Formats: sequence, C-alpha cells, structure tokens
Amino acid sequence: MKLATKYNRVTLIASIIVFVFTGVIYYSVIHYILTDKLDRDLAIEEDEIAAYVKTYGKLPQAGSFKEQKVSYHLIDPAHDFERRYFYNDYFNESEQRIEPGRSLIRTIEVNGKLYSVTVTKSRVESEDLVRIIFLITLSITIVLLVTLLLINRFVLNNIWKPFYEILSQMKAFNLADKNDIQIEPTKIDEFTELNAAVASMSLRVKQDYRELKSFTDNASHEMMTPLAVINSKLDTLIQTETFSDSQGELIGDIYVAVGKLSRLNQSLLMLAKIENNLIGDQETIDLDELIRQKTRQFQELLQSQDINLKTELAGKQINMNKHLADMLINNLLSNAIRHNYKGGEIYIHLNEKELSISNSGSDDELIASKVFERFYKNAASEGMGLGLAISNQICNLYHFKLNYAYQDTRHVFKVSF
Amino acid sequence: MKILLIEDESSLSESIITYFTEEGNICETAMDYKSAMEKINIYNYDCILLDLTLPGGDGMEILRAIKKINKKDGVLIISARHALDDKLDGLNLGADDYLVKPFHLSELKARVTAIVRRKSYDGSNIITFNEIQIDTQAMSVKTGDSVLILTRKEYDLLVYFIANNSKVITKSAIAEHLWGDEIDLSDHFDFIYTHIKNLRKKLVEAGCKDYIKSMYGVGYKFENI
Repeated sequence: MKLATKYNRVTLIASIIVFVFTGVIYYSVIHYILTDKLDRDLAIEEDEIAAYVKTYGKLPQAGSFKEQKVSYHLIDPAHDFERRYFYNDYFNESEQRIEPGRSLIRTIEVNGKLYSVTVTKSRVESEDLVRIIFLITLSITIVLLVTLLLINRFVLNNIWKPFYEILSQMKAFNLADKNDIQIEPTKIDEFTELNAAVASMSLRVKQDYRELKSFTDNASHEMMTPLAVINSKLDTLIQTETFSDSQGELIGDIYVAVGKLSRLNQSLLMLAKIENNLIGDQETIDLDELIRQKTRQFQELLQSQDINLKTELAGKQINMNKHLADMLINNLLSNAIRHNYKGGEIYIHLNEKELSISNSGSDDELIASKVFERFYKNAASEGMGLGLAISNQICNLYHFKLNYAYQDTRHVFKVSF
Repeated sequence: MKILLIEDESSLSESIITYFTEEGNICETAMDYKSAMEKINIYNYDCILLDLTLPGGDGMEILRAIKKINKKDGVLIISARHALDDKLDGLNLGADDYLVKPFHLSELKARVTAIVRRKSYDGSNIITFNEIQIDTQAMSVKTGDSVLILTRKEYDLLVYFIANNSKVITKSAIAEHLWGDEIDLSDHFDFIYTHIKNLRKKLVEAGCKDYIKSMYGVGYKFENI
C-alpha cells in the first residue's frame, strides 16, 4: 500500500469518527438547551394559569394561539398525578396541521374539582433550528473531508516527489556506471538529508569499488615485471650448459607454471579492462571468416586429438573490437577442444541470430548458473576458470547473450546476438 | 648489431644484455628517461628496445623524439602494458614491433633480428647459416643449390632457430612463437615435437648437419657443429 493511500485512509477514518462523535455531542447539547428553554416557557405559562386560578377561582380560557395550546380536562380526584413534561404531536389550529410539540401536564384544583391542565408548545422552530445546525455541521464536515483528500492527493504527492525521484535514481544505480546520482534540491529537510545520505553513500561505494578494481588492475600490472624477470632469468639459466634430465624437467615445470601465471594475470587485466569499458575501436567483422581462420589456427590441435569438427556457417557481420572477437572465439573453441575426448566432435553453427558451439565431452553437466563465474571450473579442468568469465563479459559489453546448456550429451555454448 | 635497451628494471635488463651480448653485439642500456633521451640524441643504434613505463617520463615520448629527429633506428616496445591502445599508439607512432612482458628472450631476439634485418639490408633479405640460405622476402630456403620445401610452420621454426643460434629455446617459447600466445598450448607440447622432427628430417635429407639438439625437459638448441 502506498504511503499516501495509507495516510489517507487513516486520516479519513479518524476524521469521520471524530466528526460523528462531536456531531452526536453537539446535537444532544443543542437539543437539551432548546428543550430546556421550551420547558421554562411552559413553566411560565403554568405559573400564569395557576395565578389566574388563584385570583379568579376559575380556569382561564382554553385555546390555541400561535405556537401554543392550552386544554383542560376534568378528572377523578382518585387519579391525581405528578406534574410532568413530555413530547407529543398536536394539532396546530392556526397552521391547520399536526406539529411536534412539547407539553407540560399537571393537575389543578378549581372549586373542589380536579382538572388536568395540558400546556403544549410547538417544537417546529427548535426542530428547524436543530436541522439547520445539523445541515451546516454536515456540510462543513464534508467540505473538510474533501479538502483533506485533495490536500493529501495533490500536496502530499508534490511533497513526496523528491523521494520518488531519489528512489528511481537508486533503482537505476549501477556501480560500474560513470554517472553519479543527481541531487534535485528540495526545501524539505528530511529529503535534503536523505538526498545527501544517498549521494554520499553512492560516492563512497563507487570509490571503494574503484579502489578495489584499480587494486586488481595494479596488482596484476605490478606482477608482470617480476614475472618478466623470472622468465628472463630462466631463459638465461638454461643457456648455462649441462643440465641433468631431472633438472631439465624441473625447469620445464617452472616454465609452465610461470606461463600459467602470466596468462592468468593477462586475463585478469583483460577482465578489468572490459569491465571498465576501456575497449574502443569497433569495426565490422565477418564472423564466419573469423571462425574459419580460427579453426585453421586450431587445426593441429584438433588433429592431435582426432576431433571431428563440423561447421555450418552463414555469413554474419558484427560490430565489435577485433581483439575481443578474436578472444571470444578463441576461448569458446579452445574450451570445446580442451574439454573434449579423443575422437570426439565439435559442431559450430552460425546464423544471423546466433552462434552455437557444441562439443562432446564429459557426461557431467556443468552448473549453468556458475559456469560464467570467475575461477569456476570442474575438477577435471586444467584451465584457470577465467576463459568463460571473459567471454561472458565480452558478450555483456556488446549486449549479446551467452548461454550454456547440456543437450543430448553435448555441451552447448550459445551466443545470441 | 648495436642495441640500446631502455628499461628501468635492472635484473631484467641484465638478462637481456647477457642474452644479446654473447654474440658479440654491442648492447647499451639506459635506466631512465633522461639518460635514454641523451643516448638517442647522440648515438645511432640498429634497434632500440623501449620500455614504456620509465622513471622520469613516458616511453611514448622517447618514441616521439626518435621519430622527430628522423632517426632510422628500429624500435621495439617492450611493456607490461598490454593495453591495446598502447600497442596501436606505439605502432602508429612508428615503432617496428611491440612485445608484451613477460616474454621469452628467444622471442625478443627473433623480433630484434627481424627488425635489424629489415632495416639494414635494403630489400635483399637473405639469412645465411652455413649452407642454409633463407630468402625472407620470397620465404624460400636453399641448402647449397637445392631448394628446400618447408611448410609455413617449419619455415618459421627455422628462422626462429637461426635467430637464436646456439641458444636453448624452450618448448613454450616455440609454441607461442608458432601459434601465438592466445592459444594455451602448455598441455599439448607434443605436436611441437612433430614439427621439429619433420624440419630436422628435411634438413638432414638435404645434406645439412643435424643442427637441432634436443635438451631434455627444457627445449631445443640450434647449434653449429
């Protein structure tokens, strides 16, 4: 539920309860006051009648005039009763209609006879008054509620605008992005504070991220020189004649390890470069031609493994950096060879929409969700586990989609353009 | 040949010098930007090996300076900066080649030899090693008077061997030279062996001596016997 809706609902319910409650109290008080006034008028009339009886020893003329009616009834003295007020309807003769009234009834003794005296006054006026007051109150209530709703709708929405703006920016926030969060100035302190907090947080996060990245970058860079020294020293070492076979083998192993380390380093640097979007120079590349060229390059490797390569290439041009295109095909193809078995098969299919490279290999399906993670590799793999991560980054850079699937005992890598 | 090595990492430059001077080449070094600038302004070299990250200045500036004073010296950039842009910039500025650290000394030697050859013999690109004559222009090989038919890989291998004559060359250096460093062949050194075996056979059949010597575990050595 939106904050404004929730707020609206709460204020609406609260104000309705308050208005109903105060309305009831208001109505009862006014009703009480008006009835009290009527009763006092009736009492004055009663006093006049009593005074008349006392003075003249007879009842005054019964009758109805204006908003008042007086009537007498002879009653049995055994049925004497207490004086009391009550509501009733009576016939107003001047208006010729039945009207609501307030009456006072009492007994009075005239010359030894007991009469009941009923004085009735019309309640029409006071009822009208109450009705008008009620209507005014009701309309004020409605006007107030509508105003409240309108305020909530327009003013609140307006007030919350900076909040939604910063929210949408936070949703769009991307660590690797170069743009920072843009702060719109607002007059509301809370939002100013929120904006400042978000801005400083995003800056800090980006700063940390940059530092971390440049750390990887610099670390890999700094490692290159010692690696170059190791390599050159080894090259010098092997020139110094006479090695026993086992020494030679040891040196051979060191070479392989140093080679792996420098390739690892280069891959890390490459990843950092792609992530930082430092790859420029796009050109139009005939992908089919590139694949043909790569398969020629891998020819001997394929032959030495007796791998049967089948290709089905339609002409396809893509716009990307030549070196990255090279690297992408290289990685996918060398994976397909490396994770194959002797006498296995590789099938490359290229059309306008996608490139798929499938190979026979181990029966274990790779974990599709992890296969593109850095340093993910299965136990049998001799690689570093960066090739697919790099391939994936390259695809992301050009908004291609790289997928893995295990279909009919084949590992399929598919690039959708 | 006369070589200037501009490199601030002393142990690396030491190895390079050892590898190069054994042949009787003159090899000078400059450890920083300033001394490098002095040397290129005074002397002429067949090839300048240039590191891009130097104390006191950018190696690219040295390259610009070389080209500005119209020097004919060959320039080979050696850098840990694998940055593609650097590579392109360097080549666009007139460098002859670009080698990324870490590299094999044999690869460096082969590249320098190629640069010097291109620079010094105008058009007549003939490498001679005893009875072997290689025309790098026509990519043809002669032994004595007879033409030796080699595959592309065997030809590359032979040129590489001769450039690194009397040096032990590792299998990984050969693999990287023949197939490029994009392909990780460290698990498949076997078929380097096939190429070497074929080259050796062809050379011996053509009447050459068996110059290629196998060094167990490490690699191979091409040597005059």
